[in-house]
Amino acid sequence: MKDEFAPGLREQTLARAQRVTGKMNWKNEQSTRVMIAGVGYHNLSDLSLGPVLVPQLQHMEWSPGIEIDDWSFGPLAVVQRLEDQPNYYDRLILISAVERGRAPGAVHAYRWQKQLPDADEIQQRIGEAIMGVISLDNLLIIGQHFGVLPEDVIVIEVEPEDLNWGEKFTARVQAALPRVIDMVRAYARAWDG
Amino acid sequence: MCFKNLPIEFDDKGRAHLKQDVRDPYAYETRSLHDQADKVKELLARNGYIKSVDLDPVTRVAGALAFHSVVDLKDRKVLETNSMATLFRGYEVILKGRDPRDAAFISSRACGVCGGVHATTSALALEMAFPVKPPPLGIAVRNLLLALEFWYDNPLHLFLLAGPDYSQSIVQTTNPGIWERAQKTPAPHANVHGYKTVGDIMLDLNPLTGGLYLEGLQMTRTAREAYVMVGGKYPHPETVIPGGISTTISITTFNEIYSRLSQLFDYCKKTAFIWDDLVDFFYAVNPEYKKVGTRPANLIDSGIWDDPFAYDASYENSNAWGERRWATPGVIVDGQVVTTKLQALNIGVEEFVTHSYYEEWNTKRFDTDPAGNPLSPYHLWNKDTKPQPAGQNWREKYSWSTAPRWDRKAMEAECCARLWITGAAQVIPHRRFIEPTGHGVKMHVPMSTLPAMDLEWKIPEVWNAFERNRGRAYHLVFTTCVAFDNWLVGLDLVKRGHTEIHTEFETPRHGLHIGAGFWGAGRGYLTHHATIDNGALSNYQILTPSTWNASPRDPWGNPGPYEEAVLNTPLLEEFSSAENFKGIDILRAIRSFDPCMPCTTHIHVDGTDQVVTREVNTCACGIED
Repeated sequence: MKDEFAPGLREQTLARAQRVTGKMNWKNEQSTRVMIAGVGYHNLSDLSLGPVLVPQLQHMEWSPGIEIDDWSFGPLAVVQRLEDQPNYYDRLILISAVERGRAPGAVHAYRWQKQLPDADEIQQRIGEAIMGVISLDNLLIIGQHFGVLPEDVIVIEVEPEDLNWGEKFTARVQAALPRVIDMVRAYARAWDG
Repeated sequence: MCFKNLPIEFDDKGRAHLKQDVRDPYAYETRSLHDQADKVKELLARNGYIKSVDLDPVTRVAGALAFHSVVDLKDRKVLETNSMATLFRGYEVILKGRDPRDAAFISSRACGVCGGVHATTSALALEMAFPVKPPPLGIAVRNLLLALEFWYDNPLHLFLLAGPDYSQSIVQTTNPGIWERAQKTPAPHANVHGYKTVGDIMLDLNPLTGGLYLEGLQMTRTAREAYVMVGGKYPHPETVIPGGISTTISITTFNEIYSRLSQLFDYCKKTAFIWDDLVDFFYAVNPEYKKVGTRPANLIDSGIWDDPFAYDASYENSNAWGERRWATPGVIVDGQVVTTKLQALNIGVEEFVTHSYYEEWNTKRFDTDPAGNPLSPYHLWNKDTKPQPAGQNWREKYSWSTAPRWDRKAMEAECCARLWITGAAQVIPHRRFIEPTGHGVKMHVPMSTLPAMDLEWKIPEVWNAFERNRGRAYHLVFTTCVAFDNWLVGLDLVKRGHTEIHTEFETPRHGLHIGAGFWGAGRGYLTHHATIDNGALSNYQILTPSTWNASPRDPWGNPGPYEEAVLNTPLLEEFSSAENFKGIDILRAIRSFDPCMPCTTHIHVDGTDQVVTREVNTCACGIED
C-alpha cells in the first residue's frame, strides 16, 4: 500500500498522537527524541528562513524519534508546550536567521551555553514575548529561565541580508540553504554532538 | 448637541448638518510650538534642578515608544513632555489595491496581541461595505472570541506589564517608606484574594518570581486554549471573516470553552479586589497619588459585543444597533456622556498630522457619510496616508503616531470607557449579569470555587493612572459577564438548531462601496474604515487605541493623552539626587494606558509598494534641532 504521508510526517503525526494519549514510551528501541524547529516571522525575506525551511525539512526522510516543527508561535507558548512534556526531548535544534553583523549568508552553529542575562533583561524579554515579538534570543532566554529547554540545544543561525517585507531569500541566503540542511541532518544524526 | 467645536448641529430627527453661514467649516489655524520649546530650553540652561529625562524605549511597552520629558526635581513637577512613536508600518499602504477579502487576514498582523480584534474589525468594515449580515450564532461566537482575547490582554497588562510598577522590588527601591507601611497594612479583601497585607500583594507582583506574575502568564494560556477552539489559532485567527465565522460550532465546543470560562469566574473577582486594595492603599498613604497620570475625563469608545438579534451591519441603522451592544459606544467629555450614537461618534473623528511624520493630504472624496451626515476632510474616509519623516524636531514633527481628535479634543481610548459609558448612559437593553446604575456598573459574577458575587465599578471622582488600572481589572469582570451571557446565547441557539454561523456573500466587483468597523481592543477603541472601488480596496484606514493615546500635539498645540497625563504627574518618588531619580511616577502614568505601539505606527517606502519595519532615530534627545 502506498504511503499517504510524506517521509517524516508519519513519524510526527504518530508522535503527536501518542503524546496526546499519554503513551510517552512510544518506541522501546528509540530512547532519544530530537526536535528540529524553525523560528522567525513569515514574509520577511531572509528573516523568514526558519519557518520557510520547516516544510522542506518535513518532506525529507528522518530517523525515528526526530520531529520537525515551526516554533514561531511565541516563546511563552513554546515554554507552555514544553512544560506539558517535561524532559521529553533530548536535543533541540533551532534554526533561525539572526542579524549579528556577519557576512550575509554566513552560517553559524553553536551549542546554547545557558547564559542568562540579569533579571531586568529577562523581564524585558518576557514583556516582548507576551506582546507578540518572535525572536530566537527571546526563545532561548525565556526557555532557559523557566527551565524547560532540553539539556542539549543546538542553534543554527544564518546571517540575513534583506530584512524587508518579501517572500524570497536573497541569493546569498538561498545559497546557504544546502549547508544549513546538511548541518541540521548532521546534528540530528550525531547524537554525541 | 454633542459638538462644541465642530460646526455641526442636529435637526429634530437627529440628522446632522453643517451650521449655516460657516464659510470654511473645517478650516483651522496651526499654533506654533516655538515659544514653548524655547522656554523649556532656557529653563534647562539656567536651572540646575531642571532635568531632561528620556525614557527610550519605555520598557514593558511593546518596543516602539520613546518618551521625552523635562522635570523640575526641586519642585517635583514635569515641565514638558513629548510622546514619540518610533516605529512605523504601513497596513494602509499594504492593503491598497488588494482584494477586500485579504483585509481581515493582513490587518490582523497589525498587532501581536490584538490580531483577532483587528481581523474582526476588518470583517465588520467589509460587512458594511458589501453588505452582508451574519447569522445570530456567528455574532454571538464573535462576541465570545473578543472576550477571550481580553482574557489574554487584561491579565498580562495588570500583572506582567503594569503590575511590576507596584511590586515590592520597585516600591521598596523608589518609596521605601511606602513599602514599610504596606507590610503592616491589612488588605481589606483578603477573604477573596487571600493576601493578608498589601505588602503580600506587592511581593506576589514581583516580576519573574511573584505568584500573581506567574499566574498572569498562565492565564494567557487559558485564554489561548479557549480561543483556538473557534479561531483555529491565536493571535491571528483563520476563521474570522465577513459574514460570521468559517468553522462549525457544536455543543462540545461550548463545553470546552466553558471549562476555561469557569476559571475566570474566580480569577476576575480576585483581580478586581487586588487592584481595589492596591489603589486605595496608595490613596491612603498619600492623596497626591490621585494626581499621577491625571487628565480630564475625555474618553471615546466605539462600543463592542453586538446584539445577535439586532446587528444588521448597515451604517444607516448603526445608531440603533450600536446602542444594543453589551458595551455602549459613546463619547465622554469632562466626565459626562455626550453621545451614544455611532454616527455622531464617527463624524466627529478627525486625524491631524501637523507634528507627525506624514504629509498633509489635500483631497476630500466624501462630503457626507452614507447617512448624509457631514464629513471633515480630515475624517478617516477622506484620509490618505502619506509618510514623510521630515522636519524631525520637537517644534515640527516628532512621531509616527498621528493626532486623532473628536470634536477637536484629545480623547483617550481606554477599556474602562466601556464601563463608564454603559453605566452612565443606561441605554443597553436588559442583560443577564450586567446592570448599569447611572454612576457605574453592577456585575453579577457566578459562583465557582468562590461564591457568586456582585461587584460594582463606580465612576471615579478623579481620572488618573490608578483608576485606569482599577478600571482594567473591573473590565475583566465585565468581560467575563459578557462572555458568559454570550456563551448562554450561543448554546441556546445551537440547542434550538440555529447552527448557521456564516452568511454567504459576493464581493462587489463594480462601483463604490464603503464601510466602517466599529469594534475594540483590550485597550479600547478600534476602527477600520474601508473604501472599495471596482472590487479592490482603494483606501483602508486603521485607527487604534494607542494612536489616540500616544498622539503628539495637535495643530492647536494641545498635548496628546500620554503627554498630558505625564505633564500633570507629581514626582512622589523618594530620591536624594538627580542620579538616583528613577522616574517611576512618570512610568506609572504612561504604562497605565496599556500602550501598544506597534498598533500605532506605520511604515512605507515612499514611491514603492515596499513595506519595511524599522526603527527611526529612537534617541529622543537626538532629534532636537
